[in-house]
Amino acid sequence: MTKVVILDRDEEIQARVVGPTGAEHRRLANKVMEEALEQANLSFAEISYVIATGYGRINVSFADRQITELTCHARGVVSLFPTVRIAIDIGGQDAKGLKISNGKLIDFVMNDRCAAGTGRFLEVIAATLGLKLEELGEISLKSTNKVKISSTCTIFAQQEVISRISEGTPLEDIVAGVHDAIASRVVKMVRRLKIEPDVVFTGGVAKNVGVVYAIKENLGCEVLVPEEPLLSGAIGAAILGKELTLKALAKGETIQRKERRLEEVTFFS
Amino acid sequence: MDWFMGIDIGSGTSKGVIIKDGKPVAYHLLPSKANYRAAAQKLSEELLAKVGLSPQDITYTIATGYGAASVPFSNQQVADIRCCAKGISSLFPSVRTVIDVQEMSSQVIRLDEEGQVTNFVVSEKCAAGSGRFLKIIANVLRIDLNDIGPLSLKSKNPITFTTGCAVFGESEAISRVSEGMSKEDILAGVHKALANKISTLIDRVGLEEQCAISGGGGLNVGLIKSVEEKLGVQLLVPLQPQLVTALGAAIMAQERERLVASL
Repeated sequence: MTKVVILDRDEEIQARVVGPTGAEHRRLANKVMEEALEQANLSFAEISYVIATGYGRINVSFADRQITELTCHARGVVSLFPTVRIAIDIGGQDAKGLKISNGKLIDFVMNDRCAAGTGRFLEVIAATLGLKLEELGEISLKSTNKVKISSTCTIFAQQEVISRISEGTPLEDIVAGVHDAIASRVVKMVRRLKIEPDVVFTGGVAKNVGVVYAIKENLGCEVLVPEEPLLSGAIGAAILGKELTLKALAKGETIQRKERRLEEVTFFS
Repeated sequence: MDWFMGIDIGSGTSKGVIIKDGKPVAYHLLPSKANYRAAAQKLSEELLAKVGLSPQDITYTIATGYGAASVPFSNQQVADIRCCAKGISSLFPSVRTVIDVQEMSSQVIRLDEEGQVTNFVVSEKCAAGSGRFLKIIANVLRIDLNDIGPLSLKSKNPITFTTGCAVFGESEAISRVSEGMSKEDILAGVHKALANKISTLIDRVGLEEQCAISGGGGLNVGLIKSVEEKLGVQLLVPLQPQLVTALGAAIMAQERERLVASL
């Protein structure tokens, strides 16, 4: 997913847009930016500073600066929950754990090598079950007897799920088992950071109430989830942009801005 | 009398062999589908029909493989590692290392001069370390699994997969296709990726020549070439690599009978 957040000087959100990234990062980045400008009723020239982050940040041709997603996520999460010590972020193709002390990122763990323990795992299983990704959470909450998924690998877990279906296992018990599989894998990784409250859970997968429940169960403590868990990285990027701008202005410097244009660039150009 | 049967129920393919006086006299392969019990039954019927026997004519049957427990007519179950080792050393007595590439796992088995298993390592946690990875990529490229090996040999510039995960690898293959990379180069890349995984298994148990390949992976010339290049050795390849484990099971059935008779 590609997300855009436009903040004003008081860090009030003026626009928020989420769109699927697809194969052509550059084209989509332009499109969601245009949408966000329209939402905020602003022209591109009125934006003081643009920071791009995330996996495809290099493909945002109109950004003034690229900053890693770890830094942006940490900043975003701290602004949403100042008491945060551990942030868990599960996105479409990776999972991260961030350790935060006094509002600063001090350590992290990450998996982007294996689809198990990422949103991708849920996408594959949802497709196998013929369900929409958004439906999984509610369904799993009905489970009274979740199955144990013994395979780590997404492909083998998919096969396991098919076997359970053919054995007549209730759908909710399968889905709850799948949520437990992803949660236990991520929690095991994040435990390397030594868990301390408050724990915040973000990323697209945090929109799934079933995984939120499974994460709580695996951690054995409460978990805070922002209202819009997808946006924390973009919010952090916008805040960092504002801070850079204000710092420059305070020193009386002019803001170093690239020559920016908002136009469609295709992947093959 | 003196007929012995080996049944190897794999997650993808079920294989069976009948031997008499230590020589294979019938073999059969069929897809396991989801029903291992039905596959085993059908396999046995086909095998017996080929030599004109009835079930009572078989002295002893050993079942092995992923679905070994679903062979109701077997006398015994034996781990596929041992059957594979037995099968390969009957074909190639000089072999000290076997690479067995199956649908859901890959394993490397080390043997001593007597063909006894001295060590082994199994990769079964991750589809990217098994034949499944090849199937997934063949599917993405819409190429028959039997054709991917020969096609990959035409590659001049194999791609490098940046991921070790079959799911992410599938997306990567799709991206490479959309960027205009040739199917040959993508296929050569996936064979290299699997060969690298196999090489990490070899690192854990050591490599001693002669080295052989068995399982469905042994049918793929592209994989064989990639493994040979990665390991720097020549692989011995049985004519029917998928049957090695079933053959081993049949030989073990016969050996057991000889042992019982000598007591």
